[in-house]
Amino acid sequence: MKKVLIALLVFTMGFTLAACPEDEDVEIAMITDYGDIDDESFNQGTWEGIVEYAEEHGIEYGYYRPAEVSDAEYLASIDMAVEEGADIIITPGFLFEQAVWEAQYEYPDVKFVLLDGEPRETEESDPDVADNTVGVYYEEHESGFLAGYGAVREGLTDLGYMGGIAVPAVVDFGIGFIAGAYYAAAKEDAELNFPDDRYTFLGSFDPSDEYESQADGWYGGGTEVIFAAAGGAGTSIMSAAGANDAWMIGVDVDQSAESDTVLTSAMKDLAGSVQLILDEYYDDNFPGGETRHLGADQDGVGLPVEREDDIDPWRFETFTVEQYENIFDQIADGSVVVPDSYADLLDFIDENDLDAIDIEEDTVEP
Amino acid sequence: MIVDIFNEIVSILSYVIPVMVALLIVSLGGLFSERSGVINIALEGIMVMGGFVGAMSMYLMLYIIGLPIQLAVFLAFIVGALVGAGFSFFHAFASVSMQSNQIISATALNLFATALGLFVARTFFGYRRINVDESYRFDVPFLSEIPILGDLLFKNAFLSTYIGIVLLIVVIVILYKTRFGLRLRSCGENPHAADSLGVDVGRMRYAGVMISGLLAGLGGVVFMIAFQNRFESDVRGFGFLALALLISGQWRPQRIFLISILFALMRVVASRGDSIMGLRALEVPTDFFRMLPYILTLVVLAFTSKHSRAPEAIGEPYDTGKR
Repeated sequence: MKKVLIALLVFTMGFTLAACPEDEDVEIAMITDYGDIDDESFNQGTWEGIVEYAEEHGIEYGYYRPAEVSDAEYLASIDMAVEEGADIIITPGFLFEQAVWEAQYEYPDVKFVLLDGEPRETEESDPDVADNTVGVYYEEHESGFLAGYGAVREGLTDLGYMGGIAVPAVVDFGIGFIAGAYYAAAKEDAELNFPDDRYTFLGSFDPSDEYESQADGWYGGGTEVIFAAAGGAGTSIMSAAGANDAWMIGVDVDQSAESDTVLTSAMKDLAGSVQLILDEYYDDNFPGGETRHLGADQDGVGLPVEREDDIDPWRFETFTVEQYENIFDQIADGSVVVPDSYADLLDFIDENDLDAIDIEEDTVEP
Repeated sequence: MIVDIFNEIVSILSYVIPVMVALLIVSLGGLFSERSGVINIALEGIMVMGGFVGAMSMYLMLYIIGLPIQLAVFLAFIVGALVGAGFSFFHAFASVSMQSNQIISATALNLFATALGLFVARTFFGYRRINVDESYRFDVPFLSEIPILGDLLFKNAFLSTYIGIVLLIVVIVILYKTRFGLRLRSCGENPHAADSLGVDVGRMRYAGVMISGLLAGLGGVVFMIAFQNRFESDVRGFGFLALALLISGQWRPQRIFLISILFALMRVVASRGDSIMGLRALEVPTDFFRMLPYILTLVVLAFTSKHSRAPEAIGEPYDTGKR
């Protein structure tokens, strides 16, 4: 028995030692938001962008995980990153707005990149971006719009939406999706079936048999495509779609390689935009004081048209790439303004003389 | 109309059965340990451990060796079961040989399993999960051709379903029809009497705990495959749910089987109540369906706990000096 215990002890110690980084210095630091670097969503997209860039350029990098979601803990993590030598700190998530506001003045020599938000003193105050900070917004509603538009132009009329957790980005994907679907329905002269009980937030970003079963029920009841803006939970929807020969729409990144059921993906270019800013920083060209809105006009969102391997991410048969580029350009030049709140969505429906929607405000913005 | 209803039943069953089987296997595991007199709240941790090593071996077999899916699944079941048995040895050693508090040593296993899984997955795979995302459902050859029954039981099925059913029968036979089963049960009821008749109580309890580890480890792999298609460093409290089933099933395999069907059915109704024919037309808020399993659990426990028939000597370390 003793020998077994000793063997175990040595075994675990081996792991512990192996896991210790040799050098504590970091140059590029990321502070994680609610979740972890492997949440298959926001944090992971950002982290992978950083890793790829840093590995390529031989720069030291690391991440810090705050003990809890609070400004004090966020600031403590930022302090620690600065102490360990971070020159540029990337913080994904609007929850960082106040923490970064404080930190940008406390550490004027350190650069901050705030994704999905801008520094603010309090929740209500106007954004205040210092010279050492960049704020980045993604126009998720435009991405969702393109996905909804494509699905309905393809001839699908029974739609469903499953969001992960109702954070602003996920809510926006859904609003855009509704707008795009109804906008396309008017063009196709189609009548949509997108009732209130086919629009839901699951409450998590992890896969589960419960979501698979729920999606299976929707598909069984006639739903033709479900837009899953739900990170890893999307794989459960893919399984259900596979069992029913139906479609689903992926999110954030091109998910076509994960399953044949992925009709398309509503993408936002997290990794690319982070790498762009890192590039600018190392070229002594840090866009401090700026706030970026990455939408169709900057190629920050979109649907996948092609990819590097031999998988064809374009699974539409009727909806053509040409039609896609056409609507994409209209969004990019502002001739179609995609709504990003329920109130704007209603206005959008009114202005464009579209069919009334069945989905209620509480459902979309819980 | 009839065809629609039939299809609805088929698709609901295709979700109920895997959940039922996972719960059943782990509960039966708990049964062995508790009938021998050792409380085993480490089911959760053993499941994590089994699922973790099962997922690693699946990864190896599918993507590095390239075995066919169902064969890999079968081998992963065996690996998970063996790992579960090995891991539960620590619980047996602490609670039988060292006569320590059974809750504490089981809790230690629970904490350790999750942490180790997370740590190793992070070290080797970079993330807290091990992805083995494949479609594990299959149609059983020939049997799936049978009208009605084939659709209900042999199409779109998981391998675990049939293993679970066989296990249920085997467990009933072992517990009630063999000498080993009788001795095991007697150690949970009155170890002193058993001892006086020449039964080695310690050995029996070791056997009980390690068989329970075997089944819980297998259950961990079943969970990993049927529920998430990957190892996630946890099993969502399924081990504890199985424990609750064991208690509301009154430590009897047949009742555990019935209750696991009920639980699985409720779980599926909770997640898809908004789709089931007829129920959707009622326009009941979906939250109502989500509450159902929990309300039902309370009701079942309230009714069954009155006649609770726990093994007499459960939780007590066997001390020859005490009579």
